[in-house]
Amino acid sequence: MKKHSVFSICLLLMVMVCLLVVVPVSHAGKTLKIGIVDCYSGPASTYTNDVRDAFNMEAEKINAAGGILGRQVEVLTRDSKFKVDIGLSAAKELIYRENVDILMGTINSALALAISDMCKKEKVPFFATFSKSAKITGEKGHRYVFSITENTALAGKAAAVGLAKKPYMKYWIAGDDYEYGHAIADGVWNNLKTLKPGVELLGQSWWKVGEPDFTPYITAILSAKPDAVIVATGGRDCVPFLKAAKATGFNERVPFFMHTATELSTLKPLGLDAPEGVIGTSNYFFYYPETPANQDFVKNFENAYQRKPAVGAVYGLLTARYIFGAFEKAGAIDTEKFIDNVEGMTVDSPIGKVTMRAFDHQAMLPMYMGVTRKKAGYDFLVADEIMTIPGDAVMPSIEEIKKARKQ
Amino acid sequence: MELTANITLAALLQQVLVGLSRTTILFIVASGLSLVLGVLRIPNVAHGSLYMTGAFVTYSVATLFGQSALGFWLALIVAPLVVALLSFLVERAVFCHLYEREHMMLLLFTFAFSLVIGDLVKLVWGSDYRSLVAPVFLQGSFSISGFPFPRYNLFLLVIGPLVAAGLWFLTNKTKIGKIARAAAVDREMVGAIGINVSWVFAAVFVIGCYLAGLGGALVAPTQNITQGMDHAIIIEAFLIVIIGGLGNIWGALLGALIFGLTDSIGILLWPQFAIVFPYVAVVTVLLFRPKGLLKSTW
Repeated sequence: MKKHSVFSICLLLMVMVCLLVVVPVSHAGKTLKIGIVDCYSGPASTYTNDVRDAFNMEAEKINAAGGILGRQVEVLTRDSKFKVDIGLSAAKELIYRENVDILMGTINSALALAISDMCKKEKVPFFATFSKSAKITGEKGHRYVFSITENTALAGKAAAVGLAKKPYMKYWIAGDDYEYGHAIADGVWNNLKTLKPGVELLGQSWWKVGEPDFTPYITAILSAKPDAVIVATGGRDCVPFLKAAKATGFNERVPFFMHTATELSTLKPLGLDAPEGVIGTSNYFFYYPETPANQDFVKNFENAYQRKPAVGAVYGLLTARYIFGAFEKAGAIDTEKFIDNVEGMTVDSPIGKVTMRAFDHQAMLPMYMGVTRKKAGYDFLVADEIMTIPGDAVMPSIEEIKKARKQ
Repeated sequence: MELTANITLAALLQQVLVGLSRTTILFIVASGLSLVLGVLRIPNVAHGSLYMTGAFVTYSVATLFGQSALGFWLALIVAPLVVALLSFLVERAVFCHLYEREHMMLLLFTFAFSLVIGDLVKLVWGSDYRSLVAPVFLQGSFSISGFPFPRYNLFLLVIGPLVAAGLWFLTNKTKIGKIARAAAVDREMVGAIGINVSWVFAAVFVIGCYLAGLGGALVAPTQNITQGMDHAIIIEAFLIVIIGGLGNIWGALLGALIFGLTDSIGILLWPQFAIVFPYVAVVTVLLFRPKGLLKSTW
């Protein structure tokens, strides 16, 4: 019996060795290599899976049609586990060992900035797909980095444009006590003060990331009686905050704005238990805009992955269209020519035509401001009364970027 | 910088009540930790992971019944029992061989155990956010002199004293409670009079972990059920146990009260820097009573 099992283990090992030898041979033809480094473990994967899946969907379409300039597209994915060191060494591995042509990814802003820095030295184009730091294309921007997502500066400006049209004068600011929270709160408040000089700040509350109970914060804010509240919280804290808002009737007493409140990944887990009337901003909803282009995209995505696409899917799709389109236009696999072509490029997408601003490499995405509402046919709340704030209205001016970069 | 002016008495009262309902969760979790620490001398870092498991099981059981009221009550009973069963298996398989080891080893071991549970939870439930709806009559809020007070928080205010009374009964009036208290003071002596200490320890460990599961089940409708909720609670629970006096359940109650109330009142008084209030309270307590407020069993 024992002899038998030793024999079978040997056999198994031999098969495995054979596989290792055979596999690389089958990849003999030269491919266009795209490396993705992102967090695929932990809560952040709720957002990042959509980016990767939509990107793969486009890559498969390209491959089925014969590839780019005769080359098949090969996508290499690495998990950063939301850690800068792990992500950075994965990016290094992709650049030096795999010789990827393009790098993309990361929801973690610190990691995005670190990879961006490395790509600048190595002259490898990097597409930041989900990190919300305005520094990526602002202060720390350079020739080799592009951003396909809104950031704290853009979201802040969009929110200010929307809120300025509402009659609120006395505000309260509350949020996560870390960079994202403060950046988004400053973004909204500074722009709002410029647009509507009479606004008044009654006070601020700041809680730690992962705060278990928001009820005492909400009751304390209510006792100060503001006209409206700017809630600068993100990621996993959105869900418990909205729950506490519903339980205390916060949304019925005082209107409040929360940047990602209307997003699918926030509203879906809450089901019908989410508060109505919360003001939020997002780059995309699967039900809006109601155009054939969006409906087609939703259908294809659902067929491939059995779920509705969230905002990340649009970032993935846009990234794919910029990359493949620019190589096609350049007519050669050449980094410098590729970058010249991405600059100022306009691509079609489910949210209409999106242009990559040549100066700072920031995609000019429109922003949708809406309020949460129950709607027939959905078992979760959706955004209603959607107001579109066009991309050029939310972009910081080129002078502001120059100032941030000290040019 | 600016303190909130014009704090009314009603606002203060409401804030105290909200703080007390948070205290309930903290007390339930911390008392379980304290029980295990006092009797078994195990600093159980995995206690937070069991709390998280309790919340996830609550979600699954309630969802099985379409998140109805029946599902919620059933989940409230089943989830802590599932956690207790899990802890019983682990205690018999692993912990019972480790009681004589030094604390550093136990700390490392329970830490490893918490990582294992964390990954198991990820394997079973995935990384999506989960949310659970409380039964309809516990949803929403009612008004206390113009200020809203969530119904679910009132429910927690009822549960808290019940759990405290149950624990008091268990430790003072039952045989196993008395043996456990004796074993906490001198485990060899208890063994010498012919009591199977190993099984007493198993029972205490299971009760402690049951409380972690109960805390997780009770907190589930108010929170985002997700990975990471284990780390947040375990730090607070340990702080509460330390300021209350290691291993003293009533110390855990006192610690939870201090922690919960300084937190909620701090938020009302100075919302910009509210985060520091409970920790300042912890430091103050430890400055004057380094061994905690009540008598430690260590």
